[in-house]
This record gives sequence, structure tokens and C-alpha cells, in this order.
Amino acid sequence: MATTTESTAAAGAKPFDIVATYNELLRSDPDLTMPIAAIEALVLLLTHEPSSTISETLDLLEKSTAHLKKSIPNPIGLSAGTDLFQRYLITTLQRPGQLGPAGDFKAIRTHLLSNGRLFIRRAKESREKIVAFGRGFIRDGCTVLTNGGSRAVASLLQKAADEEGGPSAVRFRVIYVLSPISKNIEEPSGEPEGMETVRALRAKGVPVSTIPESAVAYSLGKADMVIVGAEGVVENGGIVSRMGTYQIGLLAKAIGKPFYCVAESHKFVRLYPLGQYDLPIEQHVLDFKSEEDIAEQSKQPADISGDRPVELPLCDSVDFTPPHLISALITDSGVLTPSAVSEELIKIWF
Amino acid sequence: MADSVDPALTSSSSAAPTAAPQPTTETPPSQSLPIRDSKSAKPKDVPAPPAVGGDGASDKPLTPAELKKKAKAEKAARRAKEKADRDGGAGAAGGSVPGAGGQSRPPHTPKKDAAGGSASQKGSKGAPPRRGSGPVTQASAAAEPKKKKEDKSVAVFGHLYGQQRRTTVNGAAKEVHPAVLALGLQLRDYVVCGSSARCVATLLAFKRVIESYTTPLGTSLARHLTTHLSHQISYLSTCRPLAVSQGNAIRALKLAIAGIDPSTPEATAKATLCDFIDNFIREKITVADQVIAGSAVEKIENGDVIVTFAGSNIVKQTLLQAHKEGKRFRVSIIDSRPLFEGKSLARTLADAGLDVQYSLVHAISHAIKDATKVFLGAHGMTSNGRLYSRVGTALVAMSAKERAGGVEVPVIVCCETVKFSDRVALDSIVVNEIADADELVPGNPPQQVTGLPDPGAFTTPPVEPKKGGKASSAPIPDPSASARAPSPSPLANWKDTPNLQLLNIMYDVTPAEYVDMVITEMGSLPPSAVPIVHRMSTNV
Repeated sequence: MATTTESTAAAGAKPFDIVATYNELLRSDPDLTMPIAAIEALVLLLTHEPSSTISETLDLLEKSTAHLKKSIPNPIGLSAGTDLFQRYLITTLQRPGQLGPAGDFKAIRTHLLSNGRLFIRRAKESREKIVAFGRGFIRDGCTVLTNGGSRAVASLLQKAADEEGGPSAVRFRVIYVLSPISKNIEEPSGEPEGMETVRALRAKGVPVSTIPESAVAYSLGKADMVIVGAEGVVENGGIVSRMGTYQIGLLAKAIGKPFYCVAESHKFVRLYPLGQYDLPIEQHVLDFKSEEDIAEQSKQPADISGDRPVELPLCDSVDFTPPHLISALITDSGVLTPSAVSEELIKIWF
Repeated sequence: MADSVDPALTSSSSAAPTAAPQPTTETPPSQSLPIRDSKSAKPKDVPAPPAVGGDGASDKPLTPAELKKKAKAEKAARRAKEKADRDGGAGAAGGSVPGAGGQSRPPHTPKKDAAGGSASQKGSKGAPPRRGSGPVTQASAAAEPKKKKEDKSVAVFGHLYGQQRRTTVNGAAKEVHPAVLALGLQLRDYVVCGSSARCVATLLAFKRVIESYTTPLGTSLARHLTTHLSHQISYLSTCRPLAVSQGNAIRALKLAIAGIDPSTPEATAKATLCDFIDNFIREKITVADQVIAGSAVEKIENGDVIVTFAGSNIVKQTLLQAHKEGKRFRVSIIDSRPLFEGKSLARTLADAGLDVQYSLVHAISHAIKDATKVFLGAHGMTSNGRLYSRVGTALVAMSAKERAGGVEVPVIVCCETVKFSDRVALDSIVVNEIADADELVPGNPPQQVTGLPDPGAFTTPPVEPKKGGKASSAPIPDPSASARAPSPSPLANWKDTPNLQLLNIMYDVTPAEYVDMVITEMGSLPPSAVPIVHRMSTNV
């Protein structure tokens, strides 16, 4: 019977491509973060692929997750989502009762899917909670230095500007660090990441100054705090974030300005990097070349792209900001110190 | 040498009659003192007479000197009392220590000779009452080495000198099982050494205790077995203070015993407990070690230079596994006296084909220079995230973190959760373990079987090391130095050397800032997460 259902499914639709789904989800909704897109893709996978036993489901999930992680150059963010979902599934399945291993699998499946959707909805709402927690940090007359294109930071700043309605409520300024490297590969001279947020803030009447990364140390004296986003929050409370965040963190620490990170709690990832070079991704930020190498490379361009693992383009590269540089993490489960992250993670995992 | 001793003997014997009235002069302070203090004040001076006997003989006729000495004794006693009061519950050892400290300080002042003279006087004064109290001769003979020992305790660590470690099975409670008796001696002699090994050995011994246990009439197993076990435990703790892991295991076992339904048949209950012990060992140590080694291996990369301290079993397992997986790395082992635990680790790793460098802790800055990672074992982890481990660990961790601003060399601790403790350690003074200081005195080096020291060469060279020892530790009068010439090590007669104390501390505390990562069987954690995991692993 299982074979017939499988064959009909296979006949009905072409095999489900999790990577394409994930990319499509990210493209279609600019507000979607990587872990949530990953979870959504997995939920879609479960609805598409019929499975009749628990172990089959878990096996399918594991395979697709591994495939997804392999095909995406920077799997740190999405692995937070997939790990969370897998963990959630396992705990649900282990629970005794109707929905446990003894129960009817059909019921379990529908329960899983509906809960998966609930999970996604909650995750999307988490940004609202972050804004509620983080609003108090932006006070009248303060100057905030930020960087990158974090949606959490953007929504926090915009909500702070909105507060009490009307442009008169705006009493803070923003220093926006813009990376010279364009996010858009097709159009290298295009506008840098974060320009959209700058425009939105300016429209709300917030005075924004844009500076290049080289001017961070110069400008930090005028800033009262640094607020950054994160791609992933790791177990020791450090963050994996857009390249350049680490140096801002170091400078803020040296100058003595508080350094806050805004991140949803589903970005907490079970990863423990010991330093910059201990991240589970391939990125060639450092590329030592002599004149000879350059000449050689120009002779035979782009024949390496096939067999090498997916590499991260320079504009997407990340760095790791260690916990001792971070004053606090503003998350949807409250404002946490870096050391509280591991506690939160342990709560999720055990 | 004989000449220098004789005057001392004559002086003490001649002093005996003159000293007879003196006890009355000494009694006032001793009345106000706890008895132990006055007792300890005597033995402390016992070793002195042979050393400074000459001075004592010349000082004796002078009454002003005696007055001075009396005043000094009173002052010392007052000081001792104040300290004893301050220490409160420190007990006998604590009381005796401040006296020693108070006495040992004056000799460093310019009035060294006078102090030495008074010490010899007091020694002669202290001796007669003991000789006079005839019936207690055996007791005093037995107590003498012990009293000397107490005198030699280092003041700051005074509270740690509890009772001396048991040397024989004599006097053990009759309930103590032979397996436990044997284990106790093995623990004492470091045959079973290392936190996990001690924990496993204890549990296995307790398993045998439980197997051979029969519940006496009129009691229930759940109630009586706990007290039966506590006899075993108290015996073990007299052999060597219990490790954190041992304490946790015992607590879990007692909890399991208490959880047994009194109506359960004895055989079933015993089988349940034995299963519990087996499971505990498997879950908390054997499998935990495998999991930890597995995740620690992931942190080792090709080309790493890994520094480790002493001989941690879990670190050994990790390094061997990494080697088996084909990773190419170098290991640098830092070791220290007196246990040299790193030697066996170095041998095992070298036998397995790893690249091993072995050096002692004084070469730490050299070894850390090209290190890329530091792996440490643990004796325990405290709730404030600090690492409690073999003494010297903190030094290694500090060297790694302070080398270049503290970001380049990660310090990784491998530790099972059974070693987590709910205690908090701020320093390594309050809670620690002191081993027999004699372990620090090197015997004849075992590798010198070729008979290197011929008697002729022997008499001259030892003078040199002794001078070095003198300069670093304490000023020793020349006659005593010549008296000690034939000893193989400058420390051989350290107990007779005035003002010299040896400290053989077992553990130290590494601040949490120096630890980047704690690898446990429940995952990798920052040190700040230790209390959370401890709470979870004990509640579940």
C-alpha cells in the first residue's frame, strides 16, 4: 500500500526539491529569516512527501536537512531552524499518549504539520516581541551605530521612531555603517545593503548618517551604543554576523560603548566556534596571491566552480563576535547576557 | 658534628633542674590557652635543640635573657590565642598553625640569634614535663612525628591539615568490607588516581559490599544499608579525601537506596542496586567519556599543537581517537612533581605513534609559545564555572590566555557532568587537599640504577644544593648544615630544618575567564553554564 501511495505521489508531482523551495521562500518574502525559511521548507516537504512511519519521517528529514545544509554556502542560520524542528519533532514523538509512538501515525502527522505552521507563525511574531523588549534601549537624544541589513534591527529602529506617533517623537540619531561591497552580484555598483532601512528611517524623520566601515573608529565617539543583528547566536553567547561586526565589537569594547545584538531566539544555534576560523563554512576572505598566481588565474578562469564545495562570496562572508564583546542580546525571550544563551539552548535541547 | 650535639644534650639535661621552676612561669599563658595550643608550642621547639644548642648553653645563665624569653613566649601564646579565636572552628590543626607562624617570623628579624636561643631554651623546658609524665611515654613516642608534622604545616593552608592520611588498615571499623579496605590503601598510594577512576573504583567496591550484604534482623535494607555504606565511606575518606565525582556518585547511590520500597525482597533490592551502579558507571563515565572524546576530536584540526597538563584520562582518549581518525597534530605535555602523571600519558601517546613533547611546568612559557589549543582534564567544576583540577592547571590555562591578549589559544576542558559540583570556589585556599609533604622530597631517582653517586662524589656536591635550598627557603645555621651533609637530597631532613615548611597541595582553581569551553557528555558549554547542567543532571 505504501508503494502505491508513493508512486502516485511521484506521478502527481515532480520530486520535491528542498533547496529550490528554501531559496524560493527566502526570495518571495523579504521578511523571512533563514531558520524560518528552513523550517517552512521542511514542513512543506512533509506535506508533499507521504511517509507512513515515524522512522521514515525522521529519516526523510535528516536526509533533506543534510542535503540542504550541503547546498547552501552558509548553513549556520538555517541549521538553527532545522535543528530546532528536528528536536521538536523528536520530543513530540517521544511524548506518551495519543500522539506518541503508540498512537495513530496519521494523527501524529497532521498534528506535526499544524504545529509546524504554528511554530512558523510564532517565529514571525517574535520580531514584535523583540521590539517591545528593545524599545527601552533607544532613549531620547541617543545616537545608535548599526551596520548590515538586519531586519530585526531595522524594525526595532523604525518602531522606536514610530513611538508615540508622529515625527515629533523621534529624538535619536543613527550612524549607519555601509559596506562598500554590494549585495547584488549582478550589479556591483548597486546600492549597499541597508540603504533601504536608511531611506525608511529618513522618511520617518530620523537623522541618519552613513559612513564607510573605515570610519567606525572615528565615529564611535559620537555614538552612545552599537546595535547589530546576527545570523546566528552560538552556544557561548557569541554571534555569527555580517563581516565587519567583529571589528565594530572590538572597537566598541575599546572605546567603552555598549554593544547590543538583536536576534530572534530561533537563531540560537548549537554551534561552539572557538574563533574566527572555527566556523563550519568555507569562506575565502583571505586569498594570498602573487603576481604569478594572478596571471595564472586569468589564463584559465572559472574551471574550479564545478568540483569545489559551495563557497561563500565575499559579500556574504561572516565573522564571529566572541561573547566578551557583547553587552547584551535583545531577544524575544528577553534581554539576555551572553552567558544566558547556553541556558536557553539547554532548555530547548533537554 | 658530635661536638655540636653534645653541648645541646648537656644543656638540656642541665636545664632540666633549672627548668623545673620555669613551668610555673609558663603556666599563666597556658591556663588562658586551649590545651592543644600549649601542647603544640612544645613540640615545635623539639627539633631546635641540636641545631642551636651552642647558643642555648651560652644564654642560659643570663636572667635578663630568660625574662626576655618569657615575655616572648607570652607574646607568642597571646598571638596564638588570638589567631585560634579568629579561626574559630579550625580545630586543633588550625590552633597549632598560628603558633608556628608566630614563632617562625621573629627569626627573620635581625634578632635571629636571640630568638634561636630562646627557642632552644623553651625546647629544653618543654621536654622535661614529657619525660616526667612517665606513663605516657609510648603515647608521646607515637605522637612525636605527628606533632612535628603539625608544626610543619603552612599557616595559610592550616585549615586543610585535618587528620593525617591513614597508613594502615589498623583501626578501621569492623564493618568495612575487605574490598573497600584494599581500595582505601590504593587510593592513598595513588594506585587508583584520577577523579573518574576513583569514582569507578569506589562504585565497584560498593557493588561488592552490596553483594555480600545481608540485612540484619529488625531493620530494613533501605535504612540499614545506608549506614553500612557510610562506614565504608568514612573509611575511604580517611585514606584520601573524597573526590567531587565520588561524592556525587555516593549521593546518587544513597538516593537509589532510599528509593527502594522496604517491601522489596532483599535479593531483588540488591540486584536493583547493582544494576544501578553498573548503569551509573556506564552512563556517567564510560559512555560519557566516549561522547566527550567524540566531540573533542572535532575541535582538533590538522597542524594543531595541543598542550595538555598532567595525565587526564579523557584527554588521552581524545588524542588517541583523533590520531586514529588520521588527524595530524602535535602534543605537548606539561607535567609536574611529585606525581608525574604526564609520564604515562606521554608514553601511551608516543607508543600510539603521536608526536609528543614532554616538559615540566617550569618550561610552560616555552611550550605554550607554539600551542594552538589547550586541552585540560578536570577534577571538578564548581558552580561559578571555575575549574578545580590538579595543581598547575591554572598556570597552564593562564599562560595560554595571557599570551596574546587572550584570544588566540582556546582552553578546552573535558569534563563529565558527574564532576560538576554545586559548591562555589573563589580561590584554591578554602577548599583543597593537602598531601603528605614528604612526597615532595625526592628519593633516590629511580632511573639512576647505574650507581652514579659514589661516596666520594657524594660528600662534596650535596653542599651546593643545600646552599641553594638555604637561600630560597630559610636561613639555616651552619653547624646544622654540616650535620646534614650526608643526606642525598637537600630536603631530606626538612622536618628538622627550622623555619622550613613544605607544601604539597593537590589542586588549584582556574578562573572561568581562562576557560573557553567545557566539553561534557551533554554538549559543549561555556563555563557559566555549569550550574544549569549540574542542576539538570542531578534532578533528572
